[in-house]
Amino acid sequence: MRLLVLVVLSISLMVVDARFTLLQPVRSQMSLVLMQSYWITDLPQRLYQGVASQFGSRTELVAENEKLKTEALLLQGRLQKLAALTEQNVRLRELLNSSALVNEKVEVAELIGMDPNPFTQRILINKGERDGVFLGQPVLDARGLMGQVVELMPYTSRVLLLTDSTHSIPVQVNRNGLRAIASGTGNPERLELRHVADTADIKEGDLLVSSGLGQRFPAGYPVATVKEVIHDSGQPFAIVRAVPTAALNRSRYLLLVFSDSRSPEQRATEAAQAQEAADHQGQVAPGTPAPAVPAAAATPAGASATPAAPVNGHSAPAANSHTPATPAAAAPATAPAKPAHGTSRERH
Amino acid sequence: MVNSTRPRNGWFVWFTFVLGLLLSVSPLPQFMEILRPLWLALLVTFWTMALPHRIGMTTAFVLGLAEDVLYGTYLGQNAMILTLISFLILSLLQRMRTFHVWQQSLVILVVFGLGQLAQLWLSALTGNRQPTLALLLPALMSALLWPWVSFALRGLRRRLGIN
Repeated sequence: MRLLVLVVLSISLMVVDARFTLLQPVRSQMSLVLMQSYWITDLPQRLYQGVASQFGSRTELVAENEKLKTEALLLQGRLQKLAALTEQNVRLRELLNSSALVNEKVEVAELIGMDPNPFTQRILINKGERDGVFLGQPVLDARGLMGQVVELMPYTSRVLLLTDSTHSIPVQVNRNGLRAIASGTGNPERLELRHVADTADIKEGDLLVSSGLGQRFPAGYPVATVKEVIHDSGQPFAIVRAVPTAALNRSRYLLLVFSDSRSPEQRATEAAQAQEAADHQGQVAPGTPAPAVPAAAATPAGASATPAAPVNGHSAPAANSHTPATPAAAAPATAPAKPAHGTSRERH
Repeated sequence: MVNSTRPRNGWFVWFTFVLGLLLSVSPLPQFMEILRPLWLALLVTFWTMALPHRIGMTTAFVLGLAEDVLYGTYLGQNAMILTLISFLILSLLQRMRTFHVWQQSLVILVVFGLGQLAQLWLSALTGNRQPTLALLLPALMSALLWPWVSFALRGLRRRLGIN
């Protein structure tokens, strides 16, 4: 009798949970307590990492620091080029009258657990509804797209990875823009491209990026690289296998993408305004350090020569670079030696 | 043992259940994931056999709901499986008690295997069908672990005098 009651109860619970959102509050209240268990089971690893970093040898730390520095340098070098390219891209898009590229906002989240079911590819992250995460939100790691949020809890959420067998993502070959759909296979190292014509121009090593056609993932993020293309004359379509670029089962820190909900026109005008403002600021900026120049020029005349010397050295290139510093030089003639000390402090 | 009417040390039962919940989500190496024993089902089986007057289908149902929240399945899926397992154990109770521990293991293999098949059926209904029958491996693993689990828990139960 009790069995009957409980089985009927669980079936009705399942139906209600599948069809309606009625049970969502119950589930999130329960998850508040229960999700701590992922945190607890993750604790030994956390502790181990903490201890390892505490007792990491100095040489290791120095080596790591060195490596990070070179990496930062490389990335900054690339970023310099990127600024120019972005600007060029915006200009070209203006010429083409198409909407500007969006700058998505990202937030860092940390992995707290893998789904215990070996047949699904899902992970848990430490950001939830209270942090502004929403259903269907794209998740990246440093190398590419990882998946999307499928379940929200107050302080955690569940992410379905690209390689889950129920997941598909619209992609594009970066080289020529060929569109396809990449489906997960359940294997964390493999995606399959479905229904690609046998004659399609796709080959080994091609980078697949998200095309943004599904309205869910932002366009242009790397998804996978093509590993093999098999042309089987007995099959109607080519078999294309790809490896995800993101380290799906190794990344510990992930990025949540917040794309804005504005319409393309709004985005374009706002991007144009932002660009204008930036240009304007760029023009004004050279003028701003000017007030420091007369102060520096005035100090050598004063008694305090030693603290002023670095100031002079610092602002000298600024003074050289733009000769129209005349209004600035003329104006603060009344504010010389006394604030010079102060400015030199600030400069240091 | 002193007074069989009043429950004693009931906290220990719930402590083992909490431990079981933790074990059922603890990270394992990739190749072991598929072999993860059904810890909660094992614990429910043991306590159902030891304290049938206190631990039964309702407890199993509540624990199953907790597991559903942890696994992100529909509420009620694991609850139903655990309730079924608990029901089968309860109905086999008299026979199970006279069995040798290895015979109990065999019964558990069959019961948990049925549970896993029901699980397969339910997850096929809800859209994520497992591709293979490898999901029977956890039942096998649990059956192999049963002698040790029951030995350890019986020892603890004697020492703490739980009834």
